Amino acid sequence: MGLLIGTRKGLFAFDDQGALHGPFLEGWGVYHAVSHDGVVYAAANSPFFGASVQRTTDGGETWERAEELGLPEDSGLTLNAAWHVEPAGSRLWLGCDPGALFSSDDGGVSWTANEAVLTHPTRERWQPGAGGMCLHSIQVAADGTLYIAISAAGAFRSDDGGESFTPINKDVAADFMPDDPYPEVGQCVHKLLVHPEQPERLWQQNHCGVYRSDDRGDNWVRLDKNGLPSDFGFGIALDPADPDAAWVIPEESAANRVTSGGRLGVYRTRDGGASWELDSEGLPDRAWTGVLREATSFDSYGVYFGTQSGSVFIRGHQADGWEEAASQLPPILSVESGSWS
Amino acid sequence: MVVVLLPSQLENEAGGQRRFEVEAETARGALHELPVADLLFDERGVLRPLVRVYVDGEDARDGLDEPLAAAATIRLIAAIAGG
Repeated sequence: MGLLIGTRKGLFAFDDQGALHGPFLEGWGVYHAVSHDGVVYAAANSPFFGASVQRTTDGGETWERAEELGLPEDSGLTLNAAWHVEPAGSRLWLGCDPGALFSSDDGGVSWTANEAVLTHPTRERWQPGAGGMCLHSIQVAADGTLYIAISAAGAFRSDDGGESFTPINKDVAADFMPDDPYPEVGQCVHKLLVHPEQPERLWQQNHCGVYRSDDRGDNWVRLDKNGLPSDFGFGIALDPADPDAAWVIPEESAANRVTSGGRLGVYRTRDGGASWELDSEGLPDRAWTGVLREATSFDSYGVYFGTQSGSVFIRGHQADGWEEAASQLPPILSVESGSWS
Repeated sequence: MVVVLLPSQLENEAGGQRRFEVEAETARGALHELPVADLLFDERGVLRPLVRVYVDGEDARDGLDEPLAAAATIRLIAAIAGG
């Protein structure tokens, strides 16, 4: 299995044999890239030329840009950035800033804005986080349920394929809202994942803690008090073979966004978040870097993450520690397990 | 015929081409003839803030709808920005 690495200065990729390719899409910030049915899709953004979705079928030799991405005029909104592409069968989903979801049924040639998200009755209570009001998490569970998460609007579930969305933020803190720290919406989810084999189990790294749900997001249990050095972080990774396992990379605080303790400290749980242990064998002892929300990934082989200082680390589920697979890349925005050929 | 010259950043997006000849009466019309029009304008037709437009050497960002002289040359520049 290869690895797709989105950076502030284009896309890099490891192929199945471990060879590094790239950069591709030079000049574009690749917020996320994913492979699906022989096509690689990249959510690419330019400070000059806006948001786009690019796709290649020939190992990056040629790229095709999706038809113009845009929000409908009656929304009163204009598109700021493309954040995350999520394949689900023959459909592709795309998360964007400001709080927008698109779908494509023609392989990413054209995209249609989702009305239920644009007109959500709670939308006036959403607000942008430091990265804009990005819809960064899209998960289609094994039971067909669609989940999205927006910073800072919270997590939402759709039981009807995107026709409607229900907030699922009960007992998830929003400490930055002092009048109501547990609102219906407005939480700053940093990353939401559904366990691939146990579709009712959700995990999230939030601006205000790490949480797990065992009932499709209806209720959440806070986990960061069980041994993590801070409640703040961005990415989260899981183990398809073990629903009780997860990895997070805590940062000092919302005010000081560097890896906690002056080291590159990854923390692992194997008991559903009841306890956490430092899992940093092979990682630098001294580091003040960061790992962004899209820059952690996993598959049946292992866990992967990329740092803002341009390193990619890999840990096989059966391995004793981490290996640095690449260094000196541009600041890494995203890492995704996937094929590159 | 109007000549439009693209910045290097758009060459790949324009199919490997930086020089276009188009029929247009205004700079806006000329830019909309390009295969990268969606990268120059947002979905409301507003020129993106860091795109600079020069018509025969004169700043035309605020004059996109002015009539063009015959055989005008439009040069697009990505503003100095970023890191």
